[in-house]
Amino acid sequence: MNGPVVFDAHTLPANDNVHAYAFSVDLDGQWFLQKGKMIAYFGDIRFDGIGHGPLDHLVARSFHSPLHAADWVVAQGRGKLLLADRAFDVNSFDLDQGNLTIRSGNLLAFEESLSLKQSIIPGFVTLIGTGKFVAASNGEVHFVEPPIRVDPQALVGWADCPSPCHHYDHGYLRGFLGGLRAMTGVGGASGEEHQFEFTGAGTVLLQSSETVMPEQPVGGTPAGGGTPGGGPGASGGLGGLGGLARWAERSG
Amino acid sequence: MAQFRLQDGKVLAVDLTGDAVRAKNGSMIAYEGDMTFKKLTGGGDGLRGMVTRRLTGEQLEVMEVKGHGTCYFADAAGDVSLVTLQQDTLHVEASNLLCTAGGLRTGTTFTGLRGASQGNGLFTTTVEGTGQAALTSQGPAIVLRVTPQTPLRVDPGAYLAHSGRLRQEFQSGVTFRTLLGDGSGEAFQIRFEGEGLVYVQPSERETLGGQV
Amino acid sequence: MGFTRISGKMIEAQVVPGQPLYSQRGAMLAYRGEVSFTPNLTGGQGGVMSALGRRARGEAAPLMTVEGRGSVYFGHGGHHVHVVDLAGSLLHVEADRLLAFEGSLRQGTVFLGSQGGVMGMVRGQATGQGLFTTTLEGHGSVAVLAHGGVLELPVTPRRAVHVDPQAYVAHRGDLRNRLSTALGWRDMVGRGSGEAFQLELSGQGTVYVQASEEKL
Repeated sequence: MNGPVVFDAHTLPANDNVHAYAFSVDLDGQWFLQKGKMIAYFGDIRFDGIGHGPLDHLVARSFHSPLHAADWVVAQGRGKLLLADRAFDVNSFDLDQGNLTIRSGNLLAFEESLSLKQSIIPGFVTLIGTGKFVAASNGEVHFVEPPIRVDPQALVGWADCPSPCHHYDHGYLRGFLGGLRAMTGVGGASGEEHQFEFTGAGTVLLQSSETVMPEQPVGGTPAGGGTPGGGPGASGGLGGLGGLARWAERSG
Repeated sequence: MAQFRLQDGKVLAVDLTGDAVRAKNGSMIAYEGDMTFKKLTGGGDGLRGMVTRRLTGEQLEVMEVKGHGTCYFADAAGDVSLVTLQQDTLHVEASNLLCTAGGLRTGTTFTGLRGASQGNGLFTTTVEGTGQAALTSQGPAIVLRVTPQTPLRVDPGAYLAHSGRLRQEFQSGVTFRTLLGDGSGEAFQIRFEGEGLVYVQPSERETLGGQV
Repeated sequence: MGFTRISGKMIEAQVVPGQPLYSQRGAMLAYRGEVSFTPNLTGGQGGVMSALGRRARGEAAPLMTVEGRGSVYFGHGGHHVHVVDLAGSLLHVEADRLLAFEGSLRQGTVFLGSQGGVMGMVRGQATGQGLFTTTLEGHGSVAVLAHGGVLELPVTPRRAVHVDPQAYVAHRGDLRNRLSTALGWRDMVGRGSGEAFQLELSGQGTVYVQASEEKL
């Protein structure tokens, strides 16, 4: 027989990859899953939407932004649970008293011991604590260290280093075609004229994609003075930066 | 006798020595040697509907490839799995069947319940007999063994194929009652019981019920 | 120098002063060091001829010059990247499949009609990618894009290879191409359509085929 390997309920990996595109959770307790990422399971597992009835307290403990809790389910029970996302590469990451910020669309699942918070960068969430989480990427994740400038679309996330800042390549913008595009928008935005710049110590996670995975809503921010993106004054300020506005449009 | 080989994970190479295979229409990407191609239409040539409905309900067309040499098949960068049948029956979603050896019989079975609820069409394709078949999937297929002690539940969108003595039952898995009150639909799963193998893909087709 | 394979979908290139690279615009994923990216009006080095070709293709594959000192990661659209190292040989590649190539290679544009006559023109229509194909020659590396993995099929004088034009990516070496039709193929796909033809490659070289009938 030259067929693929056959797994049963016992031989499926425990909290490890089945292959590059699927992850097997050895469930004994609770995991949080993004909706639509479970492909199959063995055992006695129940799935519930988050934030109702007896599970309401989970929102307070693990989800610190109530608005996006609707996109998650909690899996409870015992068994082997297979996770996958549109045949994208899937990897698990362990955090040990750490924090990692990740594009919300890339995060598939995480252990209950981690808590999820909204990042100050729009479209990203931060996981804090100790535990395991599973994330998807277009192509294998490649780890690099700062200093580095990254096309926003190729960014999966970052750990331990300070949040990035925007970098504009003025040579590219000022060049004939770049200038034309900056003025007219013809040709679309590309990473060559605007990047996220990382400095300091830490790790940056890259994926090979110029077309990002669909964003998952991460919830809004409270309106108020001094909260980026929150108050009306703040959003006006952001809109003034052409590149950032374009980026937000693309990722939103 | 046609020899099926995986050229890399996404390309099926079939060595032909004057015999024929049936393949999904348009899936030939290259060949060496002399090949002839023949379009097979539903019902004809004793092919009781390998031509079945796809997700969208349109007809899936099949071609017969005959000749001497090597023919390469691929489908939309999907991953290819080989299945060797020995007097078995493989049930497979028609859109995931890439190629079958000449000696295998293909047909259709009615899976009313699942099809109806899933919105995927009412039939699945069956492949019977002895010989090799190739499936394509979005991402490499995972083969899961079901035993009487360990039933399996599968998201309908990730289901590819199954073989063996399995009963399948459609059941609702999750109820969403969320804070916002939306997304309160039910998610459906297929439950497999008995003894056999189930093939799943690490991705999901669009289905009505697969929400988990 | 060459390109380092990071994953099936990403490569890393070292940039040093005086040795520019050319890449598809928008294909830079990340970089470190002092590297500048300049969009090219004429598309690489080819001068008027390639500018003409590009215009004929309607700016299908705009290029940019990458120079300076540092390292750059390239990838595009989540497509697979296949690196071909040329050691003096000639590569034909459809322009929009070109991810990046080293400046040491001579770039040109070939009007396939001159090689295959009328059939060459039909071929252009069949692939929907214009009548012009980019050629790269010399010593250096080329990174090409493909939907799904790339299959390398050797072609020898005794062994011609027929390729579905939709799945054709590139070819290298001393190869002739012409359009052919296998028995029964035209009845199957319909006589009128460009898909009724296959690309027959004969001679000595390699043809690169992708695992998909989808154009990029």
